[in-house]
This record gives sequence, structure tokens and C-alpha cells, in this order.
Amino acid sequence: MLIRIPPAWELPESACTPERDYHLRPRRDFLRTLGGAVAGGLAAPTLLSGATAGFPSRVNPDHRDPALQPTPYELITSYCNFYEFGTGKGDPKVNANRGWKTEPWTVEISGLIRNPLQIDANELVTRMGGAEQRVYRFRCVEAWSMVIPWDGFPLAKLIALADPLPEAKFVTFTTFNDPKNVPGQRSSALEWPYFEGLRLDEANHPLAFIATGIYGRAIPNQNGAPLRLVVPWKYGFKYGKSIVKIDFVAQQPRNTWQVMTPHEYGFYANVNPKVDHPRWSQASERVIGAGGALGQRQRTLMFNGYEGQVAPLYAGLDLRRNY
Amino acid sequence: MQLLARILRHSATAWSLVILPGLWPAWPIFVVPDFTVLTDPLKYILLYWGLVACVLLAVALTFSPLRVLWPGAAVPLALNRHRRLVGVAACAYALLHLAAHTRHVYDGSFDTFLSEVGKPFQLKGLAALGLLLVLSVTSLHWAVRRLGARRWKALHRLAYVAAALAAWHQIEARKVFPPQVLLIFAPVVVLQAARWWRERGSRAPAA
Repeated sequence: MLIRIPPAWELPESACTPERDYHLRPRRDFLRTLGGAVAGGLAAPTLLSGATAGFPSRVNPDHRDPALQPTPYELITSYCNFYEFGTGKGDPKVNANRGWKTEPWTVEISGLIRNPLQIDANELVTRMGGAEQRVYRFRCVEAWSMVIPWDGFPLAKLIALADPLPEAKFVTFTTFNDPKNVPGQRSSALEWPYFEGLRLDEANHPLAFIATGIYGRAIPNQNGAPLRLVVPWKYGFKYGKSIVKIDFVAQQPRNTWQVMTPHEYGFYANVNPKVDHPRWSQASERVIGAGGALGQRQRTLMFNGYEGQVAPLYAGLDLRRNY
Repeated sequence: MQLLARILRHSATAWSLVILPGLWPAWPIFVVPDFTVLTDPLKYILLYWGLVACVLLAVALTFSPLRVLWPGAAVPLALNRHRRLVGVAACAYALLHLAAHTRHVYDGSFDTFLSEVGKPFQLKGLAALGLLLVLSVTSLHWAVRRLGARRWKALHRLAYVAAALAAWHQIEARKVFPPQVLLIFAPVVVLQAARWWRERGSRAPAA
């Protein structure tokens, strides 16, 4: 009998980056460094995910900066803040994949608009003309960053479909509320459901995006399936996950984290290296997946590197007070 | 119980019990890789060492009340032999935690470190570490002899202040209250309260 002893460098087939993703130049070095260790433990649980319409997505060349190296898929989908499924970074990957269903999924678009509707997530993606892929920087308020290839559609398209009335000045995004099936919502860690908002002109900005996928695949549950807001010039907590309602309103809403700790988190949450968090500096950030075991830190860019595109939105606004 | 006490008396046991927990991060990093940990291994290590420092400090503070509450019992007596070792180990882990943190925020310069270190959250941790350093240095035999038992004892009551600061620092480290703080420090509070109650009874005049 032949007993095959796999060498330390051997990776299982499942660790291979699909050819399509290979061309994104993900941090292969990172995986190679950890390769020996990874071989033993890649029995990842089956990931559930949301909307499946719109794939394969079209790569949008305008949003593929060759200088940005996407963070490996395994890291993006393993290190999540999604308190509905637990407050630990690893909790959502486990708890959001225990039979919690994100397909079918209905989202309600309502408020001060001419075309209120309730629509299935897949149908919405189809109405939006399918999914495109954009590679964006992602900056968490906790001073770490990733580079994520999101699939989805521009939020402006959805706003055009909704057709807001002139009184509509803000857009709110409500996450599901399902304490029966979702463990974290049975605790009082946050006020449920999670709630976020944007000014209408922010929401209409060409960078604002609704993600339905990551790396050309349906977005996994732990990352906010099936519909997640993506606003790359803002801190990650603005990216409302698993949205069930998009409401157009006249008054500036209070978002969940602003309600919880108003001296730490504000409505705008624009990435700003000059305005510190009360407990830590925002001047630099850990680059997830880079720099080997000790990791790497880089300077944080104003508006997360999107200053050229979004700064005009905030002309005349005191960013120190409106954090 | 006698057997347990005999095992606990050994300094080899005590050394193993303070060193082994610190090596745990090797498991999710090298043995059974956990992608959540691998996302930022240094962050995991630094948080973990901070946690071990808190646990050891809390554990060290349970030894005396156990001895008072169960006078003459073998296990508390065995544990009390190692009180200083456990306390100094808590200090060592706090130092490792600070070293790992310093590396974690190193951005090619110490700008990030320096701009953060004055924030109340970090100052509490630093103050706790400062106290533990003073207590560690004065835990040497010559310091005990020089200070005299009474003064040494008074000085080393600062361990409770360090524990309170460490608990506060740990709470502030999270956006949402971390229940493990209660698991770690509540036993100390309960045991100290019981000890205070017991000693208060025994000190009361018999008249």
C-alpha cells in the first residue's frame, strides 16, 4: 500500500485561485507564505450566499486601478464586522451560514418617490442591467483596510428607478430584523435593525454602489448578502448590509452607530486621516493580508483615496465637527 | 485534593501554567490555520497577550482571599506559593502586549503610536502596566527586605488599582461591552468581598 505523505508546500485544489481571479493579481505572495500551514486546514464550511442574478459580472475598467492589489477572498470573507451574527470577527462566517436564507429576498423601496416598489433582489439586479465589477479600497473605522472587487450596480441607477420627489433629501438603508433566526439580534449589543443613511447627493455619486457579489461570485451571507451598500470614501460601518428597505426622506436620519456612541461615530463617517477616533489614530491603517506575519501599515488617504471625486460634495462643511 | 495540592506546589507546574497560555496563538496561526486570525496575526497575538495578562492578574488576586476563606486548606496554600510568579507573569504579558501593539501601529515611524498613546483608553493600559512594573521590581527578595513587611504590603495593594485599570482598558477596547471582563474580574470582586466580610467578623471585639 502506498502511503502518500503530502509535502509541506502542497495546496489542495480548493486553494487554487480561479483563473478569472488570478488576473486580478490578488496577494498570491500572502497565500504562498502561509501555504504550508493552509494545506492542513482548508476544510472551509460551505458558504451560503444571496442574489445569484447578474453573474458573470462585467469588469468595469474605469474602476480597476492596477496599483490596487485585491485582498485574498478567504480573508475578505473571514474577517467581518456583522454584529447581527456575533461581535467576534470570525462569528459571522460561522453563524450566518447555519441555514439563514438570503434567497429569495425582497427589498422595499419607499418614501418620497414617484415609483415605490417591493422587488425581489434577483429581479432588481436584472432591472439594473446585471452586475459589473469594481475594485474599491475598503477602510474600516478600526484602522484596517482591504481592497475588494465588488460586483453589483451603481446606486444612482436604483435612485433613478425610484424617481425621488424634490422633497427627498436623504436615503436610508435598513438591514433585516430577524431575532428568531439571527443570534446577535437576540442580544442588545446594538439597537436593531441596523440603520444607515446618506445625503441624496452622496447616494447619487457615481462611486456609490450596491454590491451583490465579491470576486465575481454572489456575496456570501457574512459579507451582507444579498444587497449591501458600498460607499468607498466612507468608513465600513456606513456600508449597510443585507438591506430590506431603502427609504427616501426629507430629514437627516440618525444612523445606528451614531445612536450608540455619538461622540465616536457620526453621520458622515468620511475617511479622514486628520480626524482621530477618540480611542485611536486614523492617520494610518493596517493593510489586511499584506506584509507577511508582522503585517504592514500604510498612511490613510483623505476620503480613502477618492478625494478627487468626492471632495466637492463636502465643500464648506467642517469635517472635524461633521465626522 | 491532596494530590492536586501536591501538583500545584511544584514550581514546574506554576511555570507551565503561566507560559503555556501565551503560546496558544501558534495554534490558529500554524497548526489549524484560521483565516480570521491569519487576516492580521499580529493583532490576534497582541489582543491575546493582553487577555492573558488580565487573566493572570485576576488569578493572582484570588490567591490570598482563598487562603483566608479556607484557612489551612492545602490547595490555597499551594497556590499562594506562586503568587509572585503569577503576578510577575501578568506584568510580562502586559509588556509583550505593549511590544506587539507598538509593532502593530509602526508605520515606518512612531507617529501613529505617539498620537495614540495619550488617548485615555491607552493611558489606562499604560498606567496599569506601570503599576505592574513597580510591583514586579519590588517583588524581589531584597526589595521586600528593604521595604519591610508593612510598607511592602501597602505598596502591593496597588495590584488592585492595576486590575481595575486593566478591566477598564479592556472594556474600552471594544465598541460593545465585552462580557469576558466580568468572567475574568467578577471572581476577584466576589472573593475579596467575602474575605473582607470574613476578616471584619474576626476583627470584631468579642465583648
